[in-house]
Amino acid sequence: MTAFNRPDPFDVIVIGAGHAGCEAALAAARLGASTLLLTQDLDAIGLMPCNPSIGGVGKGQLVRELDALGGEMARTADLATLSSHMLNTSKGAAVRSPRAQCDKKLYRAAMKSALEREPNLRLVQDEAAAILTKRGKAAGVLTARNSRYASKAVILTAGTFLRGIIHIGLDSFPGGRYNHPPSNLLSKSLAGLGFRLGRLKTGTPMRLHARGIDFSKCERQEPDSPPVPFSHFTAGIKNTQLPCWITRTGAETARIIRAGLHRSPLYSGKIKSTGPRYCPSIEDKVVKFPHHEAHHLFLEPEGYDTAEYYVNGLSTSLPEELQADIVRSVPGLEKAEIMRAGYAIEYDYSDPRQLDYTLEARDLPGFYMAGQVNGTTGYEEAAGQGLVAGVNAALKIAGREPLILRRDEGYLGVMIDDLVSKGVDEPYRIFTSRAEFRLLLRADNADLRLAPRGFALGLLDPALKKNFEAYRAAVETLVSGGGAGKIPAGPWTIEKARATAAIEKSYAMYVRRNRGEAEKLKKFEQLRIPEDFSYAAATALPNEARQKLERSRPRTLAQAGRLPGITPADLQLLWVLLEKRGRTAAAHE
Amino acid sequence: MRLPDTSDTIAAQATPPGAGALAVIRISGPAAFAAASAFLSPVPRSPGHASARLLSVKEGGALVDRAVVVFYRGPASYTGDDTVEISCHGSPYIIRTILNLAVKNGARPAGPGEFTLRAFLNGKLDLAQAEAVGELIAASSAGAHRAAITQAEGGLSSEVRVIRAGLVELLAELEARLDDSYEEVPALELKAFSGRAAAAGKKTLGLASGYEAGRGIREGVKVVIAGAPNSGKSSLLNALLGYDRAMVSPRSGTTRDTLEAPLEINGFSVLFTDTAGLNARAASPLEREGVRRAEKAIAAADTVLLVKDASIKETPGDRLAEREIARLALKSARLVRVLNKTDLRGRKGRASAGCLEVSAKTGRGLPGLKAALVAEQEKVFRDGAQAAVTSARHFAALAAAAGELAGLAALLKKKAPPLELAAERLRGALQYLGALLGETAPEEVLESVFRNFCVGK
Repeated sequence: MTAFNRPDPFDVIVIGAGHAGCEAALAAARLGASTLLLTQDLDAIGLMPCNPSIGGVGKGQLVRELDALGGEMARTADLATLSSHMLNTSKGAAVRSPRAQCDKKLYRAAMKSALEREPNLRLVQDEAAAILTKRGKAAGVLTARNSRYASKAVILTAGTFLRGIIHIGLDSFPGGRYNHPPSNLLSKSLAGLGFRLGRLKTGTPMRLHARGIDFSKCERQEPDSPPVPFSHFTAGIKNTQLPCWITRTGAETARIIRAGLHRSPLYSGKIKSTGPRYCPSIEDKVVKFPHHEAHHLFLEPEGYDTAEYYVNGLSTSLPEELQADIVRSVPGLEKAEIMRAGYAIEYDYSDPRQLDYTLEARDLPGFYMAGQVNGTTGYEEAAGQGLVAGVNAALKIAGREPLILRRDEGYLGVMIDDLVSKGVDEPYRIFTSRAEFRLLLRADNADLRLAPRGFALGLLDPALKKNFEAYRAAVETLVSGGGAGKIPAGPWTIEKARATAAIEKSYAMYVRRNRGEAEKLKKFEQLRIPEDFSYAAATALPNEARQKLERSRPRTLAQAGRLPGITPADLQLLWVLLEKRGRTAAAHE
Repeated sequence: MRLPDTSDTIAAQATPPGAGALAVIRISGPAAFAAASAFLSPVPRSPGHASARLLSVKEGGALVDRAVVVFYRGPASYTGDDTVEISCHGSPYIIRTILNLAVKNGARPAGPGEFTLRAFLNGKLDLAQAEAVGELIAASSAGAHRAAITQAEGGLSSEVRVIRAGLVELLAELEARLDDSYEEVPALELKAFSGRAAAAGKKTLGLASGYEAGRGIREGVKVVIAGAPNSGKSSLLNALLGYDRAMVSPRSGTTRDTLEAPLEINGFSVLFTDTAGLNARAASPLEREGVRRAEKAIAAADTVLLVKDASIKETPGDRLAEREIARLALKSARLVRVLNKTDLRGRKGRASAGCLEVSAKTGRGLPGLKAALVAEQEKVFRDGAQAAVTSARHFAALAAAAGELAGLAALLKKKAPPLELAAERLRGALQYLGALLGETAPEEVLESVFRNFCVGK
């Protein structure tokens, strides 16, 4: 069958409509790029295939950063929130993070609607089969239905679909997630283009019917009142807030799991790839922490008009009948009915060290990757990368400067630097402990850090700029002990300025220290190492350092410094070599 | 992460390490003038460019050395930044003291090749010299900088490693709680945590203070000359000093008061205290007061020189002196027995077993005695300070880490200690110790979190 060449090339094609794909498509379209979003299933746009929550410690900061840059996740979550919680309220402001359980259906509908409203964006239901290239650059996408779409940039957000295999007990079958076929063709296409691929694993717990849950035996976890929205632009959350419920596993649960380990794909050796340490399966928890008598379980509603409950903490890939035994061993769940079984999934990811800070492939200009395909886990991590990839694809086409965030500017910067510098050996989740400038990267100041970028990019409503600028000035004045001036009406208020200034003041000494360090770092972030820099010729460098640098080809001196095993002396040498190269080049001009 | 910093002020010996009559210490960076002015006397106010002055180097009011100091205003200096060059005497003690003073007053011990690196980056060296800069850094980094701690200091490095591992575990305790989205990790056991943190702080501080190579090197060895009346203590002091500091006479009991005199031996400072003879039958109140002061001096001595008269047989006074010294002196103090007046020794003279034989009159045995007095200090110095700069760097890192841990201790005393700030302090301490070991690994903390805590969903 010959391919059908679709007329009218696009600027940007986004493959996949999960959390990364949606943000990528919206950002690119909003920056003026004509954008096509390809998805296997239009009804799965913005799907939350695992837990019903957005946010969490570190993740909540990411969502607010996304919002300050004009992303969609925060607003969408606010429309769908059914149980809002500010986490870590007993700890310091730097680690206070919003999280909300969302109605999954509302979330999907709101996200789909946002995509449909975008004038520059077309949605097409088809499966991408291959990345097309022309003269070493990305040039479009060939679909499974044999359509050829031409474009200047392609953004791949394939999630767990590349050669996905689902495991339930010792049974396994192909799938990108339950009920969705995997993308085997795309994986082949990537390998054909020379990308290094690896395998990772993740999993999800079972869903229960509410009528089988005895809530009287569970501890009630009240939602916050009033709920705090994620988005700077949400005036208030209107949805009725629901509680979540807490119960715990016991000795009987552990006994059932231990007796069934030989039927676990994880412990029988069937699954070889690495799963996220932060989201261990219940079998992992029981095996690795045998002295823990109980593990907490959180029962979270999946929506307003469904009876399904998500059993947070009981992720498992044991056989279905064992899953039933496990569930029934838990107080309150003795009569629970499993509606969907928990499962594990193995999938291909692409080594993110092959990407630049813009998430563009270093060896295939115009090709970007974002989300789980880069080895991360989590909706928020995916969405954050999606926005960065979408923005950068559009900026490049428009001939504008790229959006590169430093580690002191946001968790987005921390995450992307970690990914492209160090790669991953397990699904990567953001933690506040990954941020060396944790006190600077707070949920309360995501706007102060990134809204200026959002406005400059053109992703935030310019009509709000005056409001924001006045707010920013007010915070500064308040921190330095002055009285706040007037702030024009808008989402940024004087009350918020007072609250943020108070936090900033309480951290003053540490914030100063953090900023001093960040300032030093900035200089080295700006010292770029040219792509064609030859380490082989840099004989002054010790062999060991040379090999390490050669392997990861850092883009900046700062990035080189973050590589394990690179000493300050190596950096000095590299610096001298760069300076020398620069001066030689200048002399030739 | 540790990046080369080119915006702060650095100090190091600019002349090759090792014995030399003169040494040059260079301080360069924006705060170079301020750092140098803090210990130079009279304080040089707005010194002219490239002007040389003869100034006193003072530590806490005490004179360390007289040195020629040249001030260079950037960019017309070797590095391109404000630079002070201090030409001092080449004694290791003086060099070390001046470097410590520079560091205490805002400079950081320079790493290998750092001055040259700055010179190059500031455009003070041309392209042709760039290769030489590279070689310089490579050569020195192959030694001290790469290994971060030299072989001779292996003991230190393993101790630092132990402290560091403990701090990683402590930080993991905090991070597990800070990153806990489900409030599952049980609350921190503050008392045990504080105890471990305090122990780590104490150990770090101990290493830091030990690294100043002991009181002996910093403040000089306190040598007290004691013995029976008329054994020739004051004559011995004068002979050691090379000039008549003490009054001497053939009569017993000439020295009534204690008397101090400093002397530099092989680059080490020695502070002698001459004392009144220990006399049980001291009659006059004045003589009794002299004995009391002698006893006090002995009690504070690093080394006691017990002087006996070689020309006569052992007397009850000698025996009394032995007893008194054994009773009064610190357990850590060294006792050096000296047989003086060997020039007068006749056939009746006593056996000299366990004694150093000297003659204050002829000078016999004095070089040996001097060497014996600083032998221990020399040993410490040989072992620990092959390059004074390296050592100063390590001292600075340890002291800074100890400072962070002191800050941590203060935070933990609060009613509800802010864990995220406690973590900042631990991160700071780990960064300093990491710099000392040449290691950085934020991943280790996460490893420890996942190993020790069942967190996450």
